[in-house]
Amino acid sequence: MAGRVEYGEGTDAQQLVFLLPECLKDASKMMKTGLMFVKLVNPCSGEGALYLFNMCLQQLFEIKIFKEKHHSWFINQSVQSGGLLYFATPMDPLFLLLHYFIKADKEGKFQPLDQVVVDDMFPNCILLLKLPELEKLLQHVTEEKEIDKKKYYKYSKEKTLKWLGKKVNQTVAALKTNNVNVGARVQSNAFFSSPQISSDKEENYICYAHGLVSDYIPKELNDDLSKYLKLPEPSASLPKPPSKKNSKMTTAQKALAKVDKTGMKSIDSFFGTKFFEKVGKI
Amino acid sequence: MESSDEENVEKRRVHLRLDTLRSATPATLHLLPCDIPVNRPAPVGSFFTPAIRQGPEGLEVSFRGRSLRGEEVEVPPGLVGYVMRMEEKEEVVGKQDFSQGSDNDEQEQELLEPPEAALERDFDRVIRASGSFSHFTVWGLETRPGPDAKVHAALTWPSLAAAIHAQVPGD
Repeated sequence: MAGRVEYGEGTDAQQLVFLLPECLKDASKMMKTGLMFVKLVNPCSGEGALYLFNMCLQQLFEIKIFKEKHHSWFINQSVQSGGLLYFATPMDPLFLLLHYFIKADKEGKFQPLDQVVVDDMFPNCILLLKLPELEKLLQHVTEEKEIDKKKYYKYSKEKTLKWLGKKVNQTVAALKTNNVNVGARVQSNAFFSSPQISSDKEENYICYAHGLVSDYIPKELNDDLSKYLKLPEPSASLPKPPSKKNSKMTTAQKALAKVDKTGMKSIDSFFGTKFFEKVGKI
Repeated sequence: MESSDEENVEKRRVHLRLDTLRSATPATLHLLPCDIPVNRPAPVGSFFTPAIRQGPEGLEVSFRGRSLRGEEVEVPPGLVGYVMRMEEKEEVVGKQDFSQGSDNDEQEQELLEPPEAALERDFDRVIRASGSFSHFTVWGLETRPGPDAKVHAALTWPSLAAAIHAQVPGD
């Protein structure tokens, strides 16, 4: 035991490398507590995912983890295996609320919000009800009725598709500003391919943006969104990723290329593959 | 019953100590192109840092006899880098005594866990920022990681996430 503390820098406890929005540092001046990690539903898969919740300013952030094989950190005078990089980015809570409204829609009636957002698996979902301007948010995806000053809501697919269409449009704008190469299919190997196939056809941007947004909605709604956006059938235009994409690939990249990516989600292209495979098994 | 349910919910949260976001001291980070399967103190300042040279193609160093080429990577605008640690609890300190002699088993187990388990295992605990950073060094084996490195793709994520999650204008 004594040998472990010789270097003087803490213990062999795990260290997490995070990128947090700057606003949280500023917010820390005004409040002492109220920022916490909670497990809530992933609106696409229905499984669990980690989020960061700001109780004071009532903000929701999603946690994404960058993980690539064969990496580790040197942090000051210590080594941390894995080389993971955690991202906390703002999350539109409406994607999570939508998950519950679609679930509740099977009953096909108007319901008060606190009867819709109920979850035995992820009881922290009650935090969502504390978010400000919920009523305004819900207008994008629900029909509402007011009886005796109490509001009742019902999922509206038409409104939701319109809302998602706007989401796709603003994502297209961001892809253009960030010069993201959308010529290639959105898959993890998109980032290995050479930039020469760069094509700025509008349809490619819409496909790519649709891929990103689809990671926040259930599969059934995703199919409707494809039709709404008038996108070609995804399976028809999907070329099988060549096993050898780039001769300059390292051993690690070759190993990654062998992984079956057929069921992978597009956001994975920004992160490693291993984490998402594991999540899929839970 | 009601109150114990509430307590159970509380137990599924990891609280971040906000004051530590301001008190965190600057940390130096290197992302290495190999996995060292341990989490422990290491004399980085004695062996690694003094060997870093500025070569014609960026930073040069060697680790375990292999040549590495590196580049500085900035944290994207609007974000701050933090190194976080769980705050120690009495029972955890007690547990560590059992780990003596079975170090390898324990570490391997840790590596098999999905990354988010690191946060979940310690639910209803407190996490604090121990260090902050605005840039780090990414190392590649023999060649610079270059613009195609996956870490660069990951760093464009926050700006796209901002667009996906921005509120849409109403009608």
